[in-house]
Amino acid sequence: MAHDWQPDFEQLVDEHQSMVFSLALRMTGDRGLAEEIAQDVFLEFDRWLGKMESADHARFWLRRVAMSRSVDALRRRQTRGTDRWVEMEDHHGIHVEERTSPLGARLEQLLATLPEPQRAALVLRYQEELTPEEIAAALEAPLATVKSYLQRGLKLLRTKAAIHLKEFVREKECVRGV
Amino acid sequence: MKNRFITFIFAAVALAMPALAQTAQLPAPSPIEKELAARASEATEITLDKKMLSLASRVMDGKDTYDDATRQLIENLDGIYIRNYEFDKEGLFTAEQVEQLRKNYETGEWSSLVRNRDRKTGESSDIMVKLVNGESHGLFILNVEPKEISMVLVLGPVQMSDLKKVKSIVKGTVKGRGGAEKSIPTKGKSKP
Amino acid sequence: MEFEPLDDFEEKLKRSFERWPAPPELKRRLMENRHRRKERPRWFALPREVLVAVSLSLGVGVFAALYSGIASYQHEQQREGEAARQQVLTALRITDHALDNINKQLAAHGRASQE
Repeated sequence: MAHDWQPDFEQLVDEHQSMVFSLALRMTGDRGLAEEIAQDVFLEFDRWLGKMESADHARFWLRRVAMSRSVDALRRRQTRGTDRWVEMEDHHGIHVEERTSPLGARLEQLLATLPEPQRAALVLRYQEELTPEEIAAALEAPLATVKSYLQRGLKLLRTKAAIHLKEFVREKECVRGV
Repeated sequence: MKNRFITFIFAAVALAMPALAQTAQLPAPSPIEKELAARASEATEITLDKKMLSLASRVMDGKDTYDDATRQLIENLDGIYIRNYEFDKEGLFTAEQVEQLRKNYETGEWSSLVRNRDRKTGESSDIMVKLVNGESHGLFILNVEPKEISMVLVLGPVQMSDLKKVKSIVKGTVKGRGGAEKSIPTKGKSKP
Repeated sequence: MEFEPLDDFEEKLKRSFERWPAPPELKRRLMENRHRRKERPRWFALPREVLVAVSLSLGVGVFAALYSGIASYQHEQQREGEAARQQVLTALRITDHALDNINKQLAAHGRASQE
């Protein structure tokens, strides 16, 4: 069946670059790498442009490939997540950018410590607001597996947040006391 | 007489060489690096001399905060030499090989800032700085884990404080320039 | 797991995980790379009439040689610069990773000393 939708590459880049970049950044925790991944994804997208049937199809494709490339990059790099508090203290003394609240910044850091499949599921759930069915399609994983990633990932994140937020609150009190 | 004159000329030139040398030279790859690369599951080897750093700086033309920060970090450097080896399992390299990597920097020119050894696990860390007339002219970092070796050599005027900037660039937490407001990002919407 | 209205923690996650804006340079570089890949040098975006007129006055052969030579050189410089930039970013990444590991080792060493 012929489709009437005529994809415009530049317009699609404008529309989706933030999504692709954010997915790659949250998965890898590395801005330079996220940029490289975003470039690769869009250049690959350009090759498949003629096969895109609709705006939704394009968005689904970009999301799926962005996640896939990010996971590949992570595995190649063999990043080891850690919840060591001393690392999360911005050891080299950098101030976290004030785009989000300090709490939000901590949650971002905690996300980076989760195992990769759980991190992927949570990013798609809370950044992209996808349903478990949509997450399963994006990750090309069974629905039951995705539900398990979400459940375990959320539980782990809550536990870590409870520990580290307590530390965070204590730190703020100390600063105030000085 | 003629021989003595020629010898004198050679000696004078040799003595003048340090003064004539404008930039420090990056090391040539050593046989140890070849051995490690051969056994690694993943080897990353980067050699950037002054010319390459200058080329990179030129394309980081300051429209982006992170490129700006990166350019400022590298523009005065003489070279960057990186060797990173990841192994599938422990025991694929020896302490002697690590010692070979380290020994070139255990000279009078290099001062140790960090030195950590764990004999049980074989892990070690070294951070050394090259001081010339009290000024920093180089930084050497060697980190050894059971399944990974990372070696970083930076030549040129580099400070320990520059290391803070590395993390901010990599993690994307460099503060934006004044007036560079970020737009509110749009949330993803679910497909029906 | 039920996917009912989000609880307080999940609401915090949703607010915290808003999309980051893409770097301003991402699109520019992407369009350049795409353009380069299609191999249509447009370093001199002159109107066709001007190109024809210059070709006639200079001689087609001389102009063609100059055009492709200079465009090719600039193209090559840009390509090399981009490659060098990527290497610099990788170098920074590895440096950051090494420093993180050193930090962990020192922290572990500190805890062991206290025991």
